[in-house]
Amino acid sequence: MSEEEKKVVAQEATNNPTAGEVSVNSLAYTTGQEVVKAEKKEKRHMGLKAKRILGNTVVYIVLVIMSIIWLAPFVCIVLQSFRCESTWMTGYIIPHKWGFDNYVRLFKNTKFPRWFLNTTIISIATAALQLIIILCMSYTLSRLRFKGRKALMNAMLVLGLFPGILGMIILYRILADLNLTQQNAIPGLILVYTASSGMGYYVSKGFFDTLPKSLDEAARVDGANRAQVLFKVILPLSKPIVIYTLLTSFMGPWGDFVFARYVSFGTSDGMNVAVGLQNMLGSAGSINANYTTFCAGGVVVAIPITILFMCLQKYYVEGVTGGAVKG
Amino acid sequence: MARVKLTNVKKIYQGNVTAVHDFNLDIADKEFIVFVGPSGCGKSTTLRMVAGLEDISEGTVEIDGEVVNDLQPKDRHISMVFQNYALYPHLTVFENMAFPLRLLRHPKMSQDEIYRRVTEAAEVLGITQYLNRKPKALSGGQRQRVAIGRAMVKDCKVFLMDEPLSNLDAKLRNQMRAEIILLRKKIDTTFIYVTHDQTEAMTLGDRIVIMKDGFIMQVGSPSQVFDKPDNLFVAEFIGAPKMNIVKTNLVKEGSKYYVTPFGSKILVDGEKGDELKKRGYDSQEILLGFRPEHTVLAKKAEGACHATIAVNEMMGSELHLHVVTDDGAPVIIRVPTIQLNDKEREEMVAGKEIYFTFEGKVMHFFNPETEVSLFYDEPVTLEEVNEKVEEIKKDVKELKEKE
Amino acid sequence: MKQYTDLEYLKLSGPEKFANKFSRFFFGIPHALLKFLKAIGRFFANIGKKIAHVFVNIYRTFVCGDWKTRVSYFIMGFGNLSRGQILRGLLFLIFQIVFIGYIAIWGWKWLAQMGTLGTVGPEEIYDEIYDSYITIYHDNSFKILLYSVLTLFFCVGYIVTWYFNIEQNRIAEEIIGSSKRKALKKACKKELKAAQDDAAKEEIKARYKAEIEAVPVKKLRSGKDDVRSLVDDQFHKTLLALPLIGILIFTVMPIVFMILVAFTNYDGAHNGYSNNLFHWVGWDNFNTMLNWKTGNKAYSAAFGEILAWTLMWSVFATFTCYFLGMFVAIMINKKGIKLKKVWRTILVLTIAIPQFISLLYVSKLFADKGIVLTYLQKWFHVPETFSFYGPNATAWTARITVVVINIWIGIPYLMLMATGILMNIPEDLYESAKIDGANVFQQYVKITLPYIMFITGPYLLTSFIGNMNNFNVIFLLTGGAPTNAAASAASGSVGYTDLLITWLFKMTTGANSEYYMASVVGIMIFVVTAFIAMIVYNVMPSTKNEEDYQ
Repeated sequence: MSEEEKKVVAQEATNNPTAGEVSVNSLAYTTGQEVVKAEKKEKRHMGLKAKRILGNTVVYIVLVIMSIIWLAPFVCIVLQSFRCESTWMTGYIIPHKWGFDNYVRLFKNTKFPRWFLNTTIISIATAALQLIIILCMSYTLSRLRFKGRKALMNAMLVLGLFPGILGMIILYRILADLNLTQQNAIPGLILVYTASSGMGYYVSKGFFDTLPKSLDEAARVDGANRAQVLFKVILPLSKPIVIYTLLTSFMGPWGDFVFARYVSFGTSDGMNVAVGLQNMLGSAGSINANYTTFCAGGVVVAIPITILFMCLQKYYVEGVTGGAVKG
Repeated sequence: MARVKLTNVKKIYQGNVTAVHDFNLDIADKEFIVFVGPSGCGKSTTLRMVAGLEDISEGTVEIDGEVVNDLQPKDRHISMVFQNYALYPHLTVFENMAFPLRLLRHPKMSQDEIYRRVTEAAEVLGITQYLNRKPKALSGGQRQRVAIGRAMVKDCKVFLMDEPLSNLDAKLRNQMRAEIILLRKKIDTTFIYVTHDQTEAMTLGDRIVIMKDGFIMQVGSPSQVFDKPDNLFVAEFIGAPKMNIVKTNLVKEGSKYYVTPFGSKILVDGEKGDELKKRGYDSQEILLGFRPEHTVLAKKAEGACHATIAVNEMMGSELHLHVVTDDGAPVIIRVPTIQLNDKEREEMVAGKEIYFTFEGKVMHFFNPETEVSLFYDEPVTLEEVNEKVEEIKKDVKELKEKE
Repeated sequence: MKQYTDLEYLKLSGPEKFANKFSRFFFGIPHALLKFLKAIGRFFANIGKKIAHVFVNIYRTFVCGDWKTRVSYFIMGFGNLSRGQILRGLLFLIFQIVFIGYIAIWGWKWLAQMGTLGTVGPEEIYDEIYDSYITIYHDNSFKILLYSVLTLFFCVGYIVTWYFNIEQNRIAEEIIGSSKRKALKKACKKELKAAQDDAAKEEIKARYKAEIEAVPVKKLRSGKDDVRSLVDDQFHKTLLALPLIGILIFTVMPIVFMILVAFTNYDGAHNGYSNNLFHWVGWDNFNTMLNWKTGNKAYSAAFGEILAWTLMWSVFATFTCYFLGMFVAIMINKKGIKLKKVWRTILVLTIAIPQFISLLYVSKLFADKGIVLTYLQKWFHVPETFSFYGPNATAWTARITVVVINIWIGIPYLMLMATGILMNIPEDLYESAKIDGANVFQQYVKITLPYIMFITGPYLLTSFIGNMNNFNVIFLLTGGAPTNAAASAASGSVGYTDLLITWLFKMTTGANSEYYMASVVGIMIFVVTAFIAMIVYNVMPSTKNEEDYQ
């Protein structure tokens, strides 16, 4: 069939909508080509597949190596916490003699239970109070408009650039004057942890920013005052950020060893776990006596926190991602 | 610049959901074809199969005579405009538009050439002053232009557009529609355009493909689908306000045909009458379709239908009256305002009783069971096409011999 | 630098564009600085204007106000009380009584001593009963400074409240219309004086009477209304009260105090109470730190060295974690990779476990005679002298080790963040790129990476500043070791891995406890971070509208 004929057919096909749907000659025309194409395609496909498998294998290898690196220290610490033959730092990983000696020592010879209790009380109180303060702050800055809002946010930004560690000297003195140090360290620490927690409103504000403004407006039109908007509309929607805030503020006190040491100065009754355990590795002599006990303490502290974190991981991830997008 | 041919194309998703059934279509070079249908009818899926973004479950897609089923999208020489624009937020407008050109290899395009093409396209679309901005800083209409510009700069055989105007407001949509018509003249290539808006389809397309539930309901020029809908679905889908449908009888009296909706009796004349005669239909129950714009208000007389106004919609140039006939059927009547004086216009309110009738020349008849038009012809079979080809061959031969 | 128009700029080739951007960035710094200074100037000018406005307001209100308002200048809340706003009035009054009481009983003592920070130090007195010398303590510089700062805060609070009280009167008069009526009466008198005959006077009187009667009398808010508004249009005050008071006392006050300490000689030997009093020294400490004119190079040299390392550390710590974290996220989210959740969970362990456990333990793993070194020596015959950050380690081994271990801590966080962003990249971007001819690698380089960077741009700055003050990692891992003998001449035992923040900490805890120098370092950290933040915000366009990113 000549070029001209083809054209005519094509034209016919387009002019007649019903007849145009099938056209035999081009069907025949394609079959020959298709065979060649199919062969080519197979070759290309095999290449692609092999490449993908190779790529995935490389990724798996990297991930396995990374997992080993990430897990190794934690495996080591668990293994060493069961080592009985010596309390020293040693150059090998697998204990020669297994046992619970270190755990027994941890609970009998040190005030670890007291520290653990202290930290738990502090954490729970801090989490509850911080939640209230952070929610107040972030909700206000995100969803209410008032004079001085921008100025307030800028002021917070500037304040945040001062290193907080320096304030310790004076905060310690204030707490000392209020008689909230040493044996009374628990309320003192709670006060300090929560008092200025309003500065950390960013992640939470980022979350509130994403809730549509029309929710507030609808509720207000329906006759709610601003407090009712918060309690009846926004808070029920804020479960993820509430959990995120609770989780992060609960975990904070477990890791504080700088200010907590200041405040509990000299007494072991007022210490939290971080200070108590860190003291075990304070000097060379202390390391030799307490290294494995520290490992045991680390395991005891890490397990509940890690379990809690893993359970609430979903909310943590949401918070982190939201914070990233918002800056 | 290419003919696109879809043969028995099917899309079957996992779990045996068939999104597109046996799609056959031959799109001529430089044709502007529009796929239209309600959401979920498979029009976007078909387009994405042409683009190579969806696998083709069965059948073949040809572009310019080449089967492209197994080609990567980039090897199909197509350009595409997405519904949500798909602009890269981190790139400026210029870099967005230059993106496809920068990816070209063998031969690599020179910076000067890229600059020339992008600025030319920007000039055509009127976005030159925004070239250094990021998409974030543009309005919806401007973003749409950038998206079109990015598709324009590349030499492509087929230009695909997936509901490009659906994110714009009504006014802007009308404006962009007009611009796409102009653009089409400038680009001069094959267009496949997907929309759910029948007005867009009617104004833009050389041919319209109306789809429903993965099936093609009709393929034809805008006037064909408007004047000669193959079935009830097409009749109701095309045209606004919607065509009125009423179940009634076709009555043959001698060589004349009548319809008897709402207790009236209306002569079927003109082309439609002839066609009925030619096909030799008998008296039978049918679905009668008539468009609101083909109705006329009438005096109380033999043959006119009696109805009560339920709602009146003032559109400015015309009045849409939603009326209820005596047997309770809802009918829409369109009255150009120019035909009414002020007093009459004010009287056209809910509760008023009116009489109307409609043209016998522009009625549509559908089989009440199959919902297929009485004038529907089965598509031509393969054998018939073959015969036709043979005939043409003969004709060409004769022509050549004569020369 | 050449200025290009938009179209000219677009015509440039890639490297030229880069060069142009680069030069624009650096030429932009002075401009940004200037802009910043101007903004500061404007800021202060604005404050000046506002203060001037306040004084004018105080004067005007007194002159134009009625007697209730005038009495309120001396007895706070009087206006409110006499106009029926009992709740507000009582609050003002109580505040005033408390303030005056405080100042009269304690406050004036602290303020009086603020200039000297105490004059009589501790002295030893022979005690006849015990037959030994005992120490009698007198003034306490620390307490004087602390409480005078608190008193100053209280004074500022009082002045603000006092002004607020006056504003209340002015607004109240406006609402009930008395100020308007007063003005009308005045105008009436004026016209009456000018009027010629009685008829005209009558007419004027009648006219003004009508006008005065027409002045609307609105009701003032009652105490009930006030309470109600606290949960509605004044809800922000209710919500912010507690957090802001906390921040004021536990963040702002310490910062002010710290800044003041930088101008004293408060240290272990002058603790202001049990040994010696401390006193104001002016800019001396800054002179010492920056070696302006003292000639003592120890501090300035140590400061320079530690600052340089701090900045380097921040750059490396931020960018290694950033890119590697992103890379790991992309690997885990790659199509066809299974057990995504498992990989993620394993990495996230370092976030879950408190750092004092994980970092402290890792620091022992890498220490001299730690497990890692032992195995390296056993298997790879690493020389016995090699040490990561023991006393004998070289500066750079220690520094590199710290950066590497920080990756271990930092990657998971970035990985989580990047994962979230990866999932949010619209699919049609990739589809469009596929049609335009991008292969998988190009899609990654041209879309995924820039998209993530585009979104996380502001985060980079936060993270950079966070790393500058990353106390935990350095303190727990190396404690600053190995010792930097030269820098230690200045203060404390400074090590090669010490950051400014750990240096500061060491200063406050060492034998000398040079609190005044620590304060200077703290201020320096603020200056440096503020400077960097300011430049980045002003020069980098992508960080400007954070709120627009979604």
